[in-house]
Amino acid sequence: MGLMDQVELPQPVKYVFNWGRKYSLWCFNFGLACCAIEFIAASTSRHDFIRHGVIPFAHGPRQADLLVVSGTLTDKMAPAVKRLYEEMAEPKYVISFGSCANCGGPYWDSYSVTKGVDQIIPVDVYVPGCPPRPEALLDGIIALQHRIQNESLKDRIAGRRLDPVTLGADAPLALEGSSS
Amino acid sequence: MTDVLARRDRALTPEETEELLRDRLGDGVQRSVLEFGVFTVWIAQEAWVAAARTCRDEPLLAYDMFDNAFGVDAREEGFDYVAILYSTSTGNRIVLRTRCEGGREAPVCPSMVEVYRGADWMERETWDMFGIDFPGHPSVSPRILTVENFEGWPLRKDFHLASRAAKPWPGVAEPKEMDDEGNIIEREKRIGDAPGPYELDKVMGEQAKLANPLPEPPAVTEEGEEVAATAPVADRASDSGQVLASDQERGLEEEQKLRHEADVELSGGEAEREPTVDEPASDVADQGESAIPAAEAAKKADDRRKAQAEARAKKAAERAAADEPGDDPAGPDDPEGDA
Repeated sequence: MGLMDQVELPQPVKYVFNWGRKYSLWCFNFGLACCAIEFIAASTSRHDFIRHGVIPFAHGPRQADLLVVSGTLTDKMAPAVKRLYEEMAEPKYVISFGSCANCGGPYWDSYSVTKGVDQIIPVDVYVPGCPPRPEALLDGIIALQHRIQNESLKDRIAGRRLDPVTLGADAPLALEGSSS
Repeated sequence: MTDVLARRDRALTPEETEELLRDRLGDGVQRSVLEFGVFTVWIAQEAWVAAARTCRDEPLLAYDMFDNAFGVDAREEGFDYVAILYSTSTGNRIVLRTRCEGGREAPVCPSMVEVYRGADWMERETWDMFGIDFPGHPSVSPRILTVENFEGWPLRKDFHLASRAAKPWPGVAEPKEMDDEGNIIEREKRIGDAPGPYELDKVMGEQAKLANPLPEPPAVTEEGEEVAATAPVADRASDSGQVLASDQERGLEEEQKLRHEADVELSGGEAEREPTVDEPASDVADQGESAIPAAEAAKKADDRRKAQAEARAKKAAERAAADEPGDDPAGPDDPEGDA
């Protein structure tokens, strides 16, 4: 990556490059609680996020581009999530799926629950809900794809990340700037 | 390990169990409680392991399965440790309970691991959550449920939640419905807001009756003359889902077919007539074949058609008259109805 982290790619190249990346998201599901069921529903035929280019059940974190943390993250589990996230190759993205992963959710005062997965790893998209419907995950994935399409790989490799998107709280996708 | 001589039909009663335990352990058995179908024996701390061994090895008891174990915070009296044993042969379950020595500062309970290997992780969890130490246990640490460097004993009543210190619990014990200004909205109880399942059943039954009224009594004209002898049978059968005797079925189908024809004829002349509840299901009329010779059938059909057209017209008029005078006294708006 000697060149790409120093030089901005020309716009047409960047467009094609990002277009290819955003529709090939190998997804590593970190299912921790009931939200994982919604994630699985999103991956099956009715909601079918494969049509959005998300490939579920990567063989391991090393083959994955996207980490979806769905469910209640406990302090005991947190080191495992951090380790598996660190095993993923850059560029890597994180969707925090559900209230528990966002902020602890109903377990905000628990002695054992981590108050959000963003305490240990950087998050790109927050999907609120308890649990969110599969459509919400599809929304989150589309928001992430917008982000990937408009991303500067130079910035990304240099470790400069954009601010996370919170579905429902941030501007709707239509106002966020079109992807082309 | 255990000679399983006891069987389910010869399982000891709680009283016999206590007697046997008292015989083996003497003062080790403090008292026993049988409540909610759960037999609990309070065991002195010194006799704790002996009690477990007796329960396991005594052929009449044969508690061969270590089911569950946990601690109980008894406030200023310290902590209890509870072990639940199950017998796969007799089907009995017994709860052994002991008060830990050492009060709140250093609660201690002898370990059961030498009797039941399954007690190992249960005791580790109890140490993890309540801080009860188990002498005789291979090693209660490191922590098994919480993170290794966790401070404190989270299931003790005096454990402080750090998040609650920063922000008090926002909920309420009995949440009320509130409007935008924060005023509690009181709602009147209506049918369907019945307090319990039994009352709800009754109310739902009443509602079902209202929604599906019984068919009207046999069609009798104002002159007192019965119009069609078979018509009420057909009425009742088509509405109430009554099971028909097989010998009646064929005649009934024929009857319904005729009535259906009559309806078709009527609807031409009387277009404004409202559809009535007890109209025969028209699909039934298509089933079955007529066993009656054609000429005879045609004659019968003519007679019946006339009689039934007359009856139905009168019924419709009566019904229209009955519907007009206001509410049904036992209607769903009746406030006494939900008692």
